[in-house]
Amino acid sequence: MKESYRQSDELELVKASLGGDKLAFGEIVNRYRKMVARTVKGMLGDSVYSEDIGQEVFIKLYNSLSEFRGEAKLSTYIQKIAINLTLNEIKRRKRFFSMFSQKGNDEMHEVEIPYYENEEKREAKELVDKALQSLEPKFRIIVAMRMLQGYSTKETAEILDLPLGTVLSRLSRAQEQLKGILKNL
Amino acid sequence: MKRSEIKDLIIRSLEPDAPEDLAKSLDEEGVSFDFSKGFTGRVLDAVYTPVMAVKREAEFLRNLNYAFYRIALTGVAAIVLLLLSLFIMEGSLSLNAFLGINDTYDESIVCLLTGK
Repeated sequence: MKESYRQSDELELVKASLGGDKLAFGEIVNRYRKMVARTVKGMLGDSVYSEDIGQEVFIKLYNSLSEFRGEAKLSTYIQKIAINLTLNEIKRRKRFFSMFSQKGNDEMHEVEIPYYENEEKREAKELVDKALQSLEPKFRIIVAMRMLQGYSTKETAEILDLPLGTVLSRLSRAQEQLKGILKNL
Repeated sequence: MKRSEIKDLIIRSLEPDAPEDLAKSLDEEGVSFDFSKGFTGRVLDAVYTPVMAVKREAEFLRNLNYAFYRIALTGVAAIVLLLLSLFIMEGSLSLNAFLGINDTYDESIVCLLTGK
């Protein structure tokens, strides 16, 4: 077992994790936690429930590591798990809250904006959070991939298993919706 | 960066040919996402603890938490409204006001109950 995996590539990390090396899996979590946070928190808002989903993503990753063949990047594999779990959570919320509210949407969560020393940065974060949460989930996921993760439209299409044309049209519609939303914020 | 500039950055980042570093710019402006401190430790505990918490139980507790939050908020709002309307109608929040007998004499209650 190694003492540090900071310089290791992803396949080495996967192999070591499969061998039960806690340190190696810890390195995977550290490497990709921000990426997962951008997807989960971008989609669900900055709430404690997002932390739970984030944890579930890595637990699911650990349980399915043996299925990872290394054909795609590990980041793509993790991203897909994060997207699936996040979309499931949105569906679950929609179902659950439709019992309590006629709106039946997925906006029933408390968004907690963390403390920022810089007021401008806090405002920027709040603005992006509000704008994202105002979008329909199918547009929100595309925006999260492009705006927060910086993926190209092609990469977005690959990760979401969508045709490129669909991604482009959703992106354009999301942009139109966001223009309207941002005018009022 | 000004609010209007952030808005512009958000819109520009969605252009199909937007440069990748726009996401970085947003990150630098405070639009960054991460989990709380100790996240990695919690994940490792969950993964390597021999008896992993039963998923169904966790799911149920989360649902219960959501339900409680919604019901409690609605309940508190309803109680506040009820108290307010009671106070406006009866002028006090006494037990008699609750029972609707604030302005009733004892004799009339006896009369009402006994029919005499």
